[in-house]
Amino acid sequence: MNELLIYSVLNILAVILISPFFMGVIKKIKAWCQGREGQPLLQQYYNLIKLLRKESVVSSTSSWITRATPYVNVAALITAALFVPVLFVPSGSTLFGNLILMLYLLALAKFFMALAGLDAGSTFGGMGSSREMAFSAILEPVIIIIFLALAFMFKTPNLFEIFRQASAVGILYAKPLLILLMVSLFIVLIAETSRVPVDNPETHLELTMIHEGMVLEQSGKYLGMMELSHAMKQTLLMAVLINILVPIGFSTALSFYSIAISFAAFMAKGTALAAVIGIFESSIAKLRLFRLPVMFMVAFFLAFLTIILEVYG
Amino acid sequence: MQNQEKELREFLKGVPIRLIGCENGNELYANADEASFPTSMKLLNGKGFTLISMFCEEKFNSSRFTLFYVFERELFDDVLVVVRNLKSKKAASVMQIFPSASWYEREIMDGFGIEFEGNPDKRRLFLHEHFPRDFHPLLKSFRNSHIKSNNGNKAEYMFKEISGEGVYQIPVGPVHAGIIEPGHFRFSVIGETIYNLEIRMFYKHRGIEKLAEGKTPEYCVRIAESISGDETAANAAAFCMAVEKISSRTPPMRALQLRTIFLEMERIYSHLGDLAGMAVDVAFPVGASPFFILREKILRENEQLTGSRFMKGIMAIGGLRKDVSEKAIKNLRKFLDAFEHEFEKALDVVYSSPSAIDRLETTGAIKNEIVRPLNITGPAARACGFQKDTRKNHPYGTYSGLKFNIHTSENGDVMSRFNVKAGEIMESVRIIRNTAQNLQKGPILSKARIRDGHCLSLVESPRGQSLHWAHIKHGLVYRYKIRTASFCNWQSIEHAVMGNIVPDFPLINKSLNLSYAGTDL
Repeated sequence: MNELLIYSVLNILAVILISPFFMGVIKKIKAWCQGREGQPLLQQYYNLIKLLRKESVVSSTSSWITRATPYVNVAALITAALFVPVLFVPSGSTLFGNLILMLYLLALAKFFMALAGLDAGSTFGGMGSSREMAFSAILEPVIIIIFLALAFMFKTPNLFEIFRQASAVGILYAKPLLILLMVSLFIVLIAETSRVPVDNPETHLELTMIHEGMVLEQSGKYLGMMELSHAMKQTLLMAVLINILVPIGFSTALSFYSIAISFAAFMAKGTALAAVIGIFESSIAKLRLFRLPVMFMVAFFLAFLTIILEVYG
Repeated sequence: MQNQEKELREFLKGVPIRLIGCENGNELYANADEASFPTSMKLLNGKGFTLISMFCEEKFNSSRFTLFYVFERELFDDVLVVVRNLKSKKAASVMQIFPSASWYEREIMDGFGIEFEGNPDKRRLFLHEHFPRDFHPLLKSFRNSHIKSNNGNKAEYMFKEISGEGVYQIPVGPVHAGIIEPGHFRFSVIGETIYNLEIRMFYKHRGIEKLAEGKTPEYCVRIAESISGDETAANAAAFCMAVEKISSRTPPMRALQLRTIFLEMERIYSHLGDLAGMAVDVAFPVGASPFFILREKILRENEQLTGSRFMKGIMAIGGLRKDVSEKAIKNLRKFLDAFEHEFEKALDVVYSSPSAIDRLETTGAIKNEIVRPLNITGPAARACGFQKDTRKNHPYGTYSGLKFNIHTSENGDVMSRFNVKAGEIMESVRIIRNTAQNLQKGPILSKARIRDGHCLSLVESPRGQSLHWAHIKHGLVYRYKIRTASFCNWQSIEHAVMGNIVPDFPLINKSLNLSYAGTDL
């Protein structure tokens, strides 16, 4: 029980504190690719602190949804953070870690974000929400299939258990199919965090926005909370990818040294993955809006293939 | 030139207009009867003439208002100016024959209060609803003074909208998210597909034409420079050329050559901004930044040449205000050699990215058949395969003696405009290099008295053809009418976006690179 409590506090704190850093790394890498110096690595923290201190201006035509959404988002993401161990897996507990619940906590946050986009009645919010929901309808089954394939390969729907098995030496050697699955997961990571080629997080062009369109009406503290929850979502999805594919250094026991090593390892691997994301984003232009399902279908196909091969292989 | 005029006269046989004569070298003037006016317009349209501008002047001669219709026709250097003297404040519209006339007629309606019968679009154009109802600032009787705004009971501007099940309207602007100028776009959309777009501009009316009246021509050069920040050289040169033609005062060769260099430098940096913008708008900033870097280098080179990054304050009537040092020219030539190589490398980044090319191809295609009716000009017209370039069609400055190609493309889409602009940058580099090599020594300003008179001058700005009409009376500007390329090309965007999806609009807009300020004087 005590271990679970320590896990909860540590894991949530770690996710909250690390998330803006990975955002910063991606921005820095993208800036370098463009020949710019880019903003300081810690700029994301400064931005968040600034936003959280500011007052929120809320449209007079909006309802409680606009005000509740930032809290729902942060709450959903903090809860989801309990389900994805980033530093160590507490032994013997299955209280948290259910894959399906984790995914639908993320979906809950997204649902409220889409509602808030519609709530203020502005043009671009509604446009962002309708696009997000249209693509979610295609993306959601893809994500479910990917995670089901994961659960199928490890014979458990619990992320704690999956991570514990994955940290055993030579997991990729034993289950090479994981690589296929991780490619799908990477596509989902890009799509869910609204990055190029799905969406452009840097754009000011409202007419092209998906995710940014939905949060366009948010300001000040509320905007800060939306940005924080967005960054946390990215860290969680990254953690799933990292802890399965390269579990080196990941701790399965609670001790100061092992957690310190695990933290250092996670930061290093996360930074590397963030760099990969940054380079990936820089190497490609945004897809035409209606070509996006094709990309999702690639992820779907790979995940489906994994299941077939796992059953008959 | 004489031959040209004879040919044009021959060509115009059968059109019931009275040809008066050629002025300023390439303006063939003609008078039109009110009764036969629609017939002559129809005949001109049938003979392939394009209405390139239309404007009004008060008390040009004995009648109170005079309308000028300016036409051009392929293969003729000369332009045809049909003069129409109005007996009343009413005139028959020609917009059914020349659709581009619609905006001109609305512009004249706002400025002079002339009513055009037969133009179904009676909405205001540049004077928005907060201006009082009978306010016509271009009338000579109006003196610049405070006016009472009509904010309390202003009428609503009715947009053309498509309605029906599943159709919704997207209002965008006039305030945008980026640091750009104001304009309102009203989309009628089903799903993501655009079925109608109506634009509304003119949120930043500065009264430039009125401002110029009563000023000395020298002063007016500075006004011309401020029409649109990134067309400084083109607009200033156009105005100077007009006054020079009126005063029969040819600038020295060195000044003309330097002007050519400035005009082409302007084209290069403007096009570089467009290429970069197109890459940014498809979320490919890695492809954009090399263009941005090159654009900045060009701007710095401009500063070395003229003392101003946007080449302000260099043009003067009769030549240039100051000379360019030999060292600056030498540096420019060295710079251009490096530039060519870097530019090719930058182009390669975009051309070798299939995802970027996929976004540009087939997007925002302008159909060939609207190019002439709407008088679409510049790279947008050349991307549709039209050999339209004022530098070739109506050569000015040193362009008649220069060898250069007109770059065209076939499809009229964003990709074609990208290709045309890229090709024109290379062409401009060649023109500058050639001119700098043969740069003559000598004076840069020819002094002579400014005479009274009126003149049209045509210049190919980076965005396309700019037309300037200057009328000088008693040594002061009596009427200054400017029609920039953007005024024509803004109307093409309503057609270019049809059937495209909403998220592609910013890209289409960027590929056309339209100036808000250049439209709204």
